[in-house]
Order: sequence, then C-alpha cells, then structure tokens
Amino acid sequence: MMRPKSTMELVPGDDETYYLNMGPQHPSTHGVLRLRLHLEGERILGAEPVIGYGHRAHEKMAENRDYLQFLPNTSRIDYLSGMIYNLGYCQAIEKAMQIEVPERAEYIRVICAELNRLTSHLLWLGTYLLDLGGFTPFLYAFDDREKLLDILDSVTGSRLTYSYGRFGGVSMDVDDTFLRAAADYCTYFRKRIDEYHALVTHNIIFRHRTKGVGVMGPQLALDYGVSGPCLRAAGVARDLRKDEPYGIYDRFAFDIVTAEGGDCFARHMVRMGEMEQSLNIIEQAVGGIPDGPVLAAKVPKRIRPPAGEHYFAVESARGHFGMYLRSDGTDVPVRLKLRTPSFVHVATMPVVLPGTMLADTVAILGSIDIVIPEIDR
Amino acid sequence: MFRETLIGAWSLLVGMKVTLSHVLRAPVTSQYPRERIEMSKAYRNVIRLIEIDEIGSHDCIDCQACVRVCPSDCIKVEGERPDGMRKKRATLFEVEFALCSECGLCLDVCPTDTLGYSREYDQAGFRRDDFLYDLLDEWRDKEADVRTRLREDEAKKAAAKAAAASKAAAAKKAKEEATAAAGDTGDVAVEGEV
Ligand code: SF4
Ligand code: SF4
Repeated sequence: MMRPKSTMELVPGDDETYYLNMGPQHPSTHGVLRLRLHLEGERILGAEPVIGYGHRAHEKMAENRDYLQFLPNTSRIDYLSGMIYNLGYCQAIEKAMQIEVPERAEYIRVICAELNRLTSHLLWLGTYLLDLGGFTPFLYAFDDREKLLDILDSVTGSRLTYSYGRFGGVSMDVDDTFLRAAADYCTYFRKRIDEYHALVTHNIIFRHRTKGVGVMGPQLALDYGVSGPCLRAAGVARDLRKDEPYGIYDRFAFDIVTAEGGDCFARHMVRMGEMEQSLNIIEQAVGGIPDGPVLAAKVPKRIRPPAGEHYFAVESARGHFGMYLRSDGTDVPVRLKLRTPSFVHVATMPVVLPGTMLADTVAILGSIDIVIPEIDR
Repeated sequence: MFRETLIGAWSLLVGMKVTLSHVLRAPVTSQYPRERIEMSKAYRNVIRLIEIDEIGSHDCIDCQACVRVCPSDCIKVEGERPDGMRKKRATLFEVEFALCSECGLCLDVCPTDTLGYSREYDQAGFRRDDFLYDLLDEWRDKEADVRTRLREDEAKKAAAKAAAASKAAAAKKAKEEATAAAGDTGDVAVEGEV
C-alpha cells in the first residue's frame, strides 16, 4: 500500500525526545483527528495532523447522483453549519443556471444562515471552554444553542441536517411565530453576550491561557489560505458576505469584526463580535421581510447547469466554503470540488504548534474551531 | 503584579456573580423518558402515507417518483390497476428507515401529496429489520372498501360523463340540423338575388 510521505521524519537514536499520538480518539479533538507530536518533555518540536478517519467521499458521491440528490449531503459536510452549506449549494446551482429566487426566500435564507452561524459559534464557545477546563459556560452555551435549534427546528423540522434549501428558494415558508421567535432571541441574546464576557472574556485564567498562545500572523494566514474568524483574528478584514456579497447580504448593515494578534484570545473575540453582527443582520432581515412566494415558479424540471466550470463561495461559520463545479450539461456533475475551511486551518498546525507546550495544543486546536467531517469530507 | 492579582480576583468574583444569578433560575433540562417533549410542527421522521380527504385513504398511485428521487434508495413501491379503475393503487410500500436521511425530497415530488412525516421520535431497535416500515399496514383493512367506493365513484362519474356527452351530442346534432335548415333557406335567398 502506498503511504503518504510524512513531513515529520522520525529522528532515530535520540533519547531526549519522543513521539506522541494525540488522537484519533481524544476528547479534545472533537472527532477523529490524529496529531503526531514530536515532543521534548512538554515542549512541542514538531506536529503533523493525520486526517482521513472520517472520510465519506462526499465529492465522489456528487459524481454519481443528480444535483438534487446531492442536496442532503451538503448539510452533512460541516454538520455545524449545515444550513449555510445547504443554502450555499443551492445558490451555486442557481447561479450556474440563472434561476431567480423570490425576495421572501432570500430573506429567509439570510435569517436561517445567520441563526445557524450563531449555533455554530455557541457550540464552539461551549466546547472550547470545556477544553480549557471550564464546565459552566459549556452548559450556558448549550442552553442558548438549544433555544436556537428549537427555532430552526420549528421551520425546517431538523436540528442539524436541515436540507432546507431548494433550487429556487426554500422548502417551507416561515410563519410569524418563527419571525417573532428569531427577533425575541436577538433581544435575549444581546444580554447573554454581556454575561459571557463577564464570565469568560474577563476571566483571568482564560486570558492567561489564550493570550499570546497559538499565534497565527496575517502573513502565515494569507499564505496558507486561512479564512473566516481565524483570518480576521489576524487583523485581515476579509469576509465574503462583504467582499463578494452573495444573496442579499449587500442590503444589510454590519461590520467585519477583526482583532489584532492572531492568538487564541483574538479568535475568541472575533467570534463573540461576529455573534453580535449576526444578531444585527437577523434583526434587519426580520424587519424587512416581504410577503410572497418562497419558491421560484420557473425552476426547470431537470437540473442541468450549462456545460463548463462554475464556482461559488459562501462564508460559513468557519470561513470560505467554495464549490467548484464542472458540468457537461447532463444531470450529473463531472466533478464537484468542495473547498472547506477547516482543511486549510488544520494544515497550519505544523507551523503554529512547534514551540508551544503540550497543554496549549488543546487550546490552539480548539480555537481554530475545526470540524473533522468537514476536513475529511 | 499586585494590580494584576487584584484584577484577576475581581474577574473571578464577577464570574461567580453570573453563575450565582443562574442558581435560582428554573432548570432547563427535561427528564426524558419520564417527561416527553412535544415535537415541532415541521418535525421530520420516517415518512408515512397520509389520508387524502376525497379518497378516504392514502392516495399513492404507484407513480414511482419518490422511488426515483430518493438519494438513499430506501423506498420500494409496487402497485396494480384495480379492475374498473383508471388510477393505480399501491399494493406494497416499504421504507427502509435505517437508510433514510429524512431529506424530504420524496415529499416534494409526490404528485398526490400523500406523503408526510410520522411523529414518532424514539425508535430504537436491535436489528436492521426493526427499521423496515410497511407504510400500507395502517390502511390495509380499509383497502377493499376504499376500492369499492372509488370504483363506484368512478362508475358514477363515467356515467355522468357519458350522459353529458350524449346530451352534448344530441344538442350538437339539433344545432347542426337547425343550421342546415337555415343554410337551405340561405341558399335559396342567394339564388333569388342572382
Ligand atoms: S426522506 Fe429522503 S431519504 Fe428518506 S425516503 Fe424520502 S427521499 Fe428517501
Ligand atoms: S410519489 Fe407519491 S404517488 Fe408516487 S409512488 Fe411515491 S407516494 Fe406513491
């Protein structure tokens, strides 16, 4: 069997250093990720992520089913931003086939995508604090997330794998109860953000464990193609919702949250700020949602994007999620390449980890917010 | 250094205050299985056949659209055309729920809108067969009656249609005769003018 060449060669005959496998079953890797660490005492000399334990061949599956049948897969690539991926895929096909989406559906998409971003960041907050040894914020964050999942559940019927988008709109209309619940949640959650800051951000232990730890500078981030909160934490203001607005994101006023330093604390601050911005977007969208149909009337019965190459990208909770589609004009894609952000982020680990301490590995790995199934796809 | 210790201690106290404020709040955990929560309106689970009012039963016409669209290949439908009926009726409808991804595509394509979601939520089993659902099960004992009634309805409708058709034909004939008669006189008039 061909084995991929390791970037970290074993150094024979060295008594002072040793190798440690962190994972594939380790509580802090949030899934089956294995890190090969080269250690000297507790200091990390080298690190190499070993991925592929959760490989499900999503890209290959896209090549042997038609466009509609791939739809359920999209919410399973990154199960924490299922909605964003799902709607992003619909938008990609709509762009390729020039299908017009009704106004109301566009607003619903924005609301649902931002609610989904909130759930993702909340889960990150809870589990990150759990990684660092704080149990209480985990329970609070999950309680808040549960409320959001209930709101999304009330319209999509599902908590994680939404399959809510359809080519030309969304599968179900929202009612006033949903809109009111979303607006109420925004009011409620603004107060909660202050509590999280009091409980977590200002906590001295948290600060000591995250400040100056796992620094990913702007140059490194750009070189590797890091995106999303990790890139913005390095001070680079890039956000696809602003830079290349898709859907109707250009109609909403919100800021790109950035921070300086590129360390774990900066990434925390960016995500906290992004949650607030998501609330802003949701409030504006709920306020401006028009009446009307939620599914375009003229969607071709057979989904056949014109032959050629199409590219579409959306800003997921983790960063730049791109879909490169090659079509030959038939029902089935020739190739659908998925560009997922966590894959890039975990690739920076061999550069970011060396020099840090073993205990910080958990803090760093948690702060880049990887989702293993999305790395492996 | 001293300042940092103070700030640090203060930050911990502030955190404590937040947790303390939560002590008195009502618990958010529901004690499943003693307590069962209500599923949302849109809740998705295994598909089921729902009753269509004018049929008085499900209305699966064995069109195979759901079978074709299902990405997980978990639906099996067979049907027959009962004597004296125009539409088909399903005779077998099996769903292998262990494979189903609850995507809802089958609901979207069904031409008679007879698919819906079941509201169960804690299915568990030890074997794969435990998740093989026979969707016709709940409808089977009614099926004979439904067919009889549908057949009667259809016969009635056909009779009504035939009656209407013969009436229309008679009316047409009468009209034709009338115009023919008018045409005769018209011809005469034209000749008279020449
Ligand atoms: S919900 Fe999806 S996977 Fe399940 S039976 Fe219907 S089409 Fe198949
Ligand atoms: S799509 Fe509807 S009518 Fe057609 S076979 Fe399936 S359930 Fe029956």
